[in-house]
This record gives sequence, C-alpha cells and structure tokens, in this order.
Amino acid sequence: MTRPIRVLALALSTAVLATTSACKRETREFRGYPPSANPGSVVQDVPLAPGPRQPEVTARSPYEHNAYAVSEGKRLFGWYNCSGCHSHGGGGMGPPLMDDEWIYGSQPENIFETIAEGRPNGMPAFGGRIGNDDIWKLVAYVRSLSALDVPQDVRGGRDDHMQYKQPEQEENPTRPKRSTLPPAATQP
Amino acid sequence: MDDPRRTAADLGTDHCRRPERETVAHPTNQPVNNQAAPSIDGGGPRPSRGAASKLLRAGVLAAALLAACGRPARERASGDTKPPSPSGLVASNGRAVATDGQWVRPTGDYAGTRFSGLDQINASNVRGLRLAWTFSTGVLRGQEAAPLYVDGTIYVVTPFPNLLYAIGLDGTLKWTYRPQPMTAAQGVACCDVVNRGVVYDAGRLFYNTLDAQTVAVDAATGREVWRARVGDINIGETVTMAPLVVRGKVIVGNSGGEMGVRGWLTALDEATGKVAWRAYATGPDADVLIGPGFHPFYPQDRGRDLGVKTWPGDAWKIGGGTAWGFLTYDPELNLLFAGVANPGPWNAEARPGDNKWTAGVFARNPDDGQAAWYYQYNPHDLWDYDGINENVVVDLTLGGRARKTLLHPDRNGYLYVMDRTSGEVISATPFVHLNSTLGVDLRTGRPTENQALHPSTGKVVRGICPAAPGAKDWQPSSWSPRTQLLYIPHQNLCMDYEGVEANYIAGTPYVGANVKMFAGPGGYRGLFTAWDPVKRRPAWQLTERFPVWSGALATAGDVVFYGTMDGFFKAVDARTGRLLWQFKTGSGIISQPTTFRGPDGRQYVAVLDGVGGWSGAIVAAGLDARDSSSALGMINAMKDLPQYTTKGGSLYVFALP
Amino acid sequence: MTLPLRARRWAAAAALLPLAACDQRVQSALDPAGPQAERIRRLMVMSIWIAAPIAVAVTAAVVWAALRGRDSAHVPETPRADRRMAATVAGLVAATVVVLFVWMISDFSAIRSLSKLDGRPLAVTLVGHQWWWEVQYHDSVASHQLTTANEIHIPVGRPVLVTLESRDVIHSFWVPRLHGKRDLIPGYTNRIWLRADKPGAFRGQCAEFCGQQHANMALWVIAEPQARFDAWYRAQLQPAAAPADSTRIAGQKAFLGNSCVMCHTIRGTPTGGRNGPDLTHLGGRRTLAAGTLPNTPGHLGGWVVDPQGIKPGTTMPPNNLRPDELRALIAYLEGLK
Repeated sequence: MTRPIRVLALALSTAVLATTSACKRETREFRGYPPSANPGSVVQDVPLAPGPRQPEVTARSPYEHNAYAVSEGKRLFGWYNCSGCHSHGGGGMGPPLMDDEWIYGSQPENIFETIAEGRPNGMPAFGGRIGNDDIWKLVAYVRSLSALDVPQDVRGGRDDHMQYKQPEQEENPTRPKRSTLPPAATQP
Repeated sequence: MDDPRRTAADLGTDHCRRPERETVAHPTNQPVNNQAAPSIDGGGPRPSRGAASKLLRAGVLAAALLAACGRPARERASGDTKPPSPSGLVASNGRAVATDGQWVRPTGDYAGTRFSGLDQINASNVRGLRLAWTFSTGVLRGQEAAPLYVDGTIYVVTPFPNLLYAIGLDGTLKWTYRPQPMTAAQGVACCDVVNRGVVYDAGRLFYNTLDAQTVAVDAATGREVWRARVGDINIGETVTMAPLVVRGKVIVGNSGGEMGVRGWLTALDEATGKVAWRAYATGPDADVLIGPGFHPFYPQDRGRDLGVKTWPGDAWKIGGGTAWGFLTYDPELNLLFAGVANPGPWNAEARPGDNKWTAGVFARNPDDGQAAWYYQYNPHDLWDYDGINENVVVDLTLGGRARKTLLHPDRNGYLYVMDRTSGEVISATPFVHLNSTLGVDLRTGRPTENQALHPSTGKVVRGICPAAPGAKDWQPSSWSPRTQLLYIPHQNLCMDYEGVEANYIAGTPYVGANVKMFAGPGGYRGLFTAWDPVKRRPAWQLTERFPVWSGALATAGDVVFYGTMDGFFKAVDARTGRLLWQFKTGSGIISQPTTFRGPDGRQYVAVLDGVGGWSGAIVAAGLDARDSSSALGMINAMKDLPQYTTKGGSLYVFALP
Repeated sequence: MTLPLRARRWAAAAALLPLAACDQRVQSALDPAGPQAERIRRLMVMSIWIAAPIAVAVTAAVVWAALRGRDSAHVPETPRADRRMAATVAGLVAATVVVLFVWMISDFSAIRSLSKLDGRPLAVTLVGHQWWWEVQYHDSVASHQLTTANEIHIPVGRPVLVTLESRDVIHSFWVPRLHGKRDLIPGYTNRIWLRADKPGAFRGQCAEFCGQQHANMALWVIAEPQARFDAWYRAQLQPAAAPADSTRIAGQKAFLGNSCVMCHTIRGTPTGGRNGPDLTHLGGRRTLAAGTLPNTPGHLGGWVVDPQGIKPGTTMPPNNLRPDELRALIAYLEGLK
C-alpha cells in the first residue's frame, strides 16, 4: 500500500467513524412523566374564542418522537380495551381514529382530555384509572394511527396478530379536519 | 265461565290477536282497560257485555278465526278435528280479517309468526302497491323497530334517543314522546344504538330506552305513565329489545353480552313498573329462577347450580347470557320462550365449561318467572352464536304425529324444530353453509364441534362458517300457516378469527377476539329462505348482495315482504319466491315491516328505512373500512355498503291505490 | 510436581468459585427432586463418565504429539507400519461410532422416558407473559378451575401435565430440579410432564431471552403432600374474603378506585383484568413481581409506587397514591391470604 492510499484510507475510516456519533439512540423513559403531571397549556376544543384573535397554541405530546412510547401506547390501546370500541383505528362502538375527522380536536391535549375526562356521547372518562404517563403514550399512538405529526420511523410496523390493516408506518400523513358533527348532532 | 280469559283460552282462540289481549293482558276484567283496548271489529270501544253474550260472541269469532288462521293448535284445543285448510284464509270472511287489522306488537301475535290475515294486498295485485306517505323520524341511526298500528294511529320508536312518535293514518304527527336517555349510553351499545320496537297493551305503549329504562306511555296522549330503571350503563348494560307484555307483566331483557354484563330477563308490573321477578342467565339456581318445576329434556341440564358449576371462578358474574331478542308466548301452556345470548367473552378460553345458561332457550312461566325447561343450542359457545333468535310457536304434524313445536333458526346455522312442552329437539337441520359444527346429536342434544376449527388465544383460525352474527342474527322470520313455510331473512357470512386476551374492565368491551368476516360460498352475503320444517329443506331461496337484516312479514295474500340493506322494499310470492314488487327507499332497510287495516278498510304496509345495526354500522357510524376488524370484523364484509346507501330514518306507508 | 501449600489452597478456592453461584440448592440440576430431573442427571453423569476419559485421552494424545515434535514423529513407511496405522484408525472410528451410538440410544431412551409419566395427571396450563407466569389449574368441573400466578403448587408423587402457552414472545419454562427446559411459544401449545418425588420449593426461571426483564421472570414450584395441596387448592378456590377492618376496607376502595382494576383480578370484587397476575390470594405468595421481591409489606409498597424503579420496563405502571391510601392498599393486599 502506497503512502497516499494509506492516508486516504485512514481519513475515510475516521470520517465513517465520525458519522456514527450522529446515531442518536432513542431513550426509553420507563419512569416517564410523574403520574401527577397534567397537560400543560390550554388547547381550545373549538376554533371560536371571544376577544382579539390569539395565536394558536400548538401542543406537542412528549412522546410523539419516541417509537418505544408509541409502541407502548399501542399495547395499552389493546390492554385498556380501547380497541374494543375503536377496533384498530376503524371504529365500531366508537368512532374511527385512523381517519382525518376529529370530533373533539386533534391536538395531543384535546386527545388527552378526551381520554382522561371522557366525552358526552359515550367516551368513558379514564382519568384516575390510567396514569397520565400512559395516557400520553396512548395519545401518541392514537395520533400515529392517522400519521398525524408522528414520524414514519416512530409509527408502528406490522402487527403480530391477524392482518386486519396495513401498518401505521404505511399510512399517508393526514391533515386533521375539525368540527365534525358528533353522533348526537345527527339526531333531532 | 265468567272470566273472559278462560273463555277465550278454552275456545282455543289464543293465537289470534284480539282474543289474546283479552286472554292475557288483564287477569281481572277491568272495564276501563277494556274500553281503552282496541276492538275486534276494527275501531270503536268494546261494549261491556254479560258473560253469556261474551261467550256466544267469542264462539262465533272462534269459528271464524279457525277458518281464517287454520292453525292446528286451535283446532285441537277447541276439539275441532277438521284438518287445517290452506285455503281457509281465502275464504275468510270480513270479520276474521278485521281481527287482523291491528298490529300491536312487533311479533304480530304471541306466537311470533308475524303473519297477517289480511289479504287485500295479494300476489296478484301487489304490483300495484303505491307509496301513501312518508314520515321522517329525524334519527339517522339503524332503524330496527316495527311500526305498530292501533286504532287509527301508527306508533314508531326510533333508535337512540328513543323518540316515540304517534302518527295518524294520514301521516300527520299526533304527539312525540322524548324519554331523554343518557347520551353516555351510546358508548356501551355494542352494535349500533338500535331499538327493536314498542308494544301496545290496554291503552299504553311499553318500550325500552338505550340507557336501560323501561317506560310506559299513554297511547292516547303520549304522557309518561311510569318509568323504571332496569339496568346500569356503568357496567355495560343497555336495553334494545322490544318487551313482551303478557298477563299483566312487561317482560324485558338486557343487552351487553360484549360488555361483560350478567344477562337477565325481568318482569315489571304492567300497571306500576315495579319489578315482579328477575331471572338471571348465570349463577345459582335461585337467581336463575330454577325450582322444583324445572324439567329440562337433556341430562346435562339437570343438576344443582349449573349456572355456577359450568364456569370458572367468578366468570359467571360477567358471563353474558343477555336476552335481547324477541320473546314468544304460548297461552295454552302458559310458557314464554326466551332465547339466551352468547356467553362472554367471545374468547372461550376465558370460560372453560358449558357456560350455562347461555346460548340456549328457557321456557318460563310469565307469572313468576320459574323455568320449565331449558335447552342449550351452543354449549361452551365458541363463535358468538347467541341463542336469542326467535322461537316461533307453531304446531306441526311430524311423522303423522301432531306436535306442539318451536321453530328456531339459530345463529349456528341449524333450524331447530323443538317440542315446546319438553324442550326436546325433534330435528336440527342446517339452513345455510356451515362448517363450525358437524351436526347436532339428537340423542344428547349437543352439536358436534369441528375440532379442526377449534380456536385458541393467539391462533388465527380461517374460514369459519357461519361468522359471528351467525347464519341468522336478530332479524325475525315469519311463519305462514297457509304455506306452512318459515320465511327466514338471514346472511351468508364466514370469518377468520383470532383469540386475544380478554381483559375485563367494567363498562368497556369484553370480547377478546379479532375477527374478519367475508361472504360465504357463492359470494352473496344475504339470503331469504322459505323453509319447510316438515320436509326439512328450503322450498325456495333468494340471494341478496347484502345480509337481509330486516324482518320478514307474511300475509294471507300469499305475499312475503322484506327489505334489503341497499334500500329495496320487496314483495315476493310466498309460494315461489318470485319477486312481485319492489320499492326503492331512501336508505337501506333493517327494520320489521308490518301490515294493518285502517278504518277506511284499506290494507296498509309500513316499514322504516335507515340502515345501521351491526352490519350497517359502516354507514350509520361512519366507520373506516381500511381496518377490516372494525365493528367486530363485520366491516370487512360490508366495505361496499357506502356505495349503495346512506343514512336514513323514515317511515314508509304503502297501500293499493 | 509439588506446589506450595498456599498455592494449592488458592487453586482449590478458585476451582470452587463457580459453585458459589449455586448458593441454595433450589435451582440445581444436580439435585433432582423428580424422576425426569433424575433421568437427566443420570444422562449427564453417564455422559461425563464417557466423555471425560475420552477428553483426557484426546488431550493427552495432542499434548504427547506436540511434545514429541516433528522429527521424532517420522516413522519409516513400511507395510507393517501402514497396517498398524490403518488398524488404529479403524479401531478409533469404530470406538467413536460405538460411543456415539451408546450415547444416542441412552439419549433416545431418556427422551422417551421423559416424555410421559404414568398415572392420571394434574392438568396445569402455564401461560408466559412479559414478565410473569399465569398458572391455570384444570378440572372436569369448570368451577373447580383455578387461576393464579408465579407459583405452581403440586402434590408430591402425582404427575403433572403442564401445557405451555405464551401471550407475547417466546419464553422457556425451566425448573432444573424437576425437568429440562421447554419453550412457551405464542400461538402454539407445548406440553411437559413433571413429578416431584419429595416435598420442597423449587425455583424456576425463564430460560429464553424474552426482553428487558427476562432475568426477573422466575417462578416457584411448591411440592406438598397431597393433603396439604388439597387444602391449599380449596383455599385458593375461595374468592377473596371481604375486608373486615376499616383500613382494609379503605384499601379495597383504593384498589377499586385506581389503575389496579385495569389489569388485575381479585375474585369477589367486580374486577376481571387478565393483563396482570390474579391477586385473589396475593398475601399467600412467596414473592412479588415473578420472583423479583420477597412478599413483604415494604416491598409491596415500593412495588406499587415505583415498579419501574425496581423492574424497569415492566408493564406495571407507577401509582401516585396518597400515603394513607398506600398503607391501606398494602394492608388489604397482604391480607388476601
């Protein structure tokens, strides 16, 4: 090996090694948010507010970029019987969650509120029964169902179960539509 | 013989509508109620008469009715040995037809035949049937109710929020009753927020609200008479069934077999709404109302506290066995026949044992609820084969022997002909393609399981037929004494099934299965079968694109009505199945058609459109078909329904021009 | 060759070091408590008796050959030497085949005798979860079936047929004093026969890596005389006794009012969770969290409040209970004997 080649090889391998430092390993937060943690900012459920227009608050779930937390959310979605009503996103007794219609808002904190406090047309209030940290994991998973702000590599892959739908990873990102009529609005 | 009840029963007129009310609704002769009750001759209040003239009158009527209905039971009971003549109805006189002019309960009569003696609309003129008027209920969920007709008024109950409308025969709204059920109840209603109808008796209407209340409403004014809470939505209980009013009791059963409830059948006092008795489907004999008078036909159903012993641990407390189907009644035996729904959860590994007393049928005395016999269609049910399908009270001549029978098309795909005095299975014949069982052993009464399809947690079993809604779900069939055929609206669905861990959390679903349904062999999803229970084969069969989720209605005009989920209301020839007439409604039909004769002497046919229910949830609840496990897997079989229909909820009334 | 006494002592201590791992003889395959473990031990001993001399001989031959060197190994190629070499090789090959054959036969016979035991078995299903064991006892009378967790009680001398299933990933059931390993595979049913011939508590361990807390997935098999087993079984069939004193009543309220009900069952209360272990008779168990902690009030409190600190990654969520609630809950759960 001639000297220039040796130098080049050394430089290349150094460069390759240097790039590996960019590989940030995702951390798994086992203890996560203290169970008493509440959602922080106030997110409106409706686009209408009195007074001068305020800057729109966009909230971010703590777990939307954490594949482990999203996968935990998916496990809890089954364990806590969410899937009993919402199936695997397509709905049943409850409305579908994989589409772009959000009756009570699509922001993480809207969904947090929906899970914790319930909604009048049948959604039970799970607050006190599911810890806040677990609710945040569920929120992240629910938003991954319609690929809402959750990056593709964070969303779930193929299930270990019967194949009932394509994996969340393959969903096309959606834009949420607001103010869909709640079920009660279809009645006099 | 001064008791009108006895008079009518002794004369054997128990199956015909008018004497029935007289027979059973009022154990004591109450003039006020009798005044309020619709009269046999088509409208006015019944004049008060002495016992003798009543007897005479009943005798005349009985003779007319015998000719009209041609039911063997009556003949035998009245000592008349003349064999039933199929042509009896054609020759029926005006009075007999008039007795059939009303429609006071969803099942038509107590026997559950849904047969009308009216023949003004018949096979030769039905093609001229025209829409008289429509009425929008304003509720866009699955409309499964039967429109009633009493004394010039049509009564319709809607799905949640369970509005009750009284509508004149000209289509004008007379009054509306709003029970205002809890909105949260929608969250524990497994398969759409349906209601299967209201019942009329003695000037009052009785029905159930989704949030598990039974209400009695004054038929004339729409005023609430009483209201009784019978269940608790917090443990997943709802009530969707149509009550049975018999012998001064309003009999109600709960829904929620997919929510881990404990099933029950409750009798409320007709006058006050107080609970008279409650019979649970699981638990100790005292809770199930099993006493010394309980004599099941098969040995496996004999023993103490089988409702506990056939379950592990506490599983019976959350084991389902609800009663959400149509109840039928035989006044002669004084027995009501109540199907019991599936055990919960679906995942059968969570509940080893026979899981009594689910997925079967109880014969009970309506006075005290005591069970007379029980038969289990599906011991240790594996596939959500509820036993709630109707048990039609029919008398047949089988093998030269007159038998008091029940006809029961079960979800497991067998048409059971049972002896209703004892609970013996006389025959069980498949009426649809099936592979989940290999036949019913008539010696033991047990179906033979197909071991190759035995499910377990974490295993996907493919191609199980019939699917979870069974060969036939709630949609009630109709029996025509003229053709001696049972008209069964049903479906042809199979499924893939995977058991998953079922985790019970009160008030949330308790199922434990992933399901994916699809059309069975042939590719069609719906069937309408005219079944001959004596020859044990179909006389004819029609196929439909979607499951036939509506009830059937047979008339003395030899026309059978049913509706389809893509929105066609059809009249077919009762003898051949030939399509005679159809009408395209706004939305798909999953309700129970009824027919009646107005004071103007015209025969009307009424039906509600408004697709929904388990099979129509994709439209009614706007589900996302990309997840084929939605609506407990039903959606996979119904993906194209939104291309054929949208939501609706209107009453259609038809008449000849 | 003689070593100083000191060195010999050190060597002996070093040789014993690996044995220190077997602190108690609760999980040693060398101390069988049942016929199958005994059969496995015999097979192992036989294998050692056969393999050890061979290993010694082969090692000695290699050492001898190495020391002898290349030059002295040069043997003149005479027909006689050739024949001798051929005979030696043939003899060794034959010996190898015979040894392997003996081995194979004894192995097959061991497997055959391990695969089934005579007698009417006690039927138990063991379901693996991340990271605990669900134990179901079967009976022809459905109401005599029992579900418990992390402890298998068996009667001494009676065969036990354990059906193995898994709800998530592959686990492996291994109680060294009773039998070898067998996997718990999701969607597939495995079976293993056991029999304990002497009473005792035998520790078992998940023997197939199954995730973060694989190491903390242990169980106990407790073999008791039939009468004691029957008494235990009868007691287990009873639902949890209703709490009698005010503390325990408050504890039950705390249990029913918090996230416990989402996953656990206590028979006799309106709970039916199957995601976590059945707690109906928790107070009577030896350990908590699948052999991770001894079952004491202090450990239980720590486990309820901060399971992720004790067993990171476990599916049990932390619970933010008030101190009085926690004390009451501990009293209630520990009282579930």
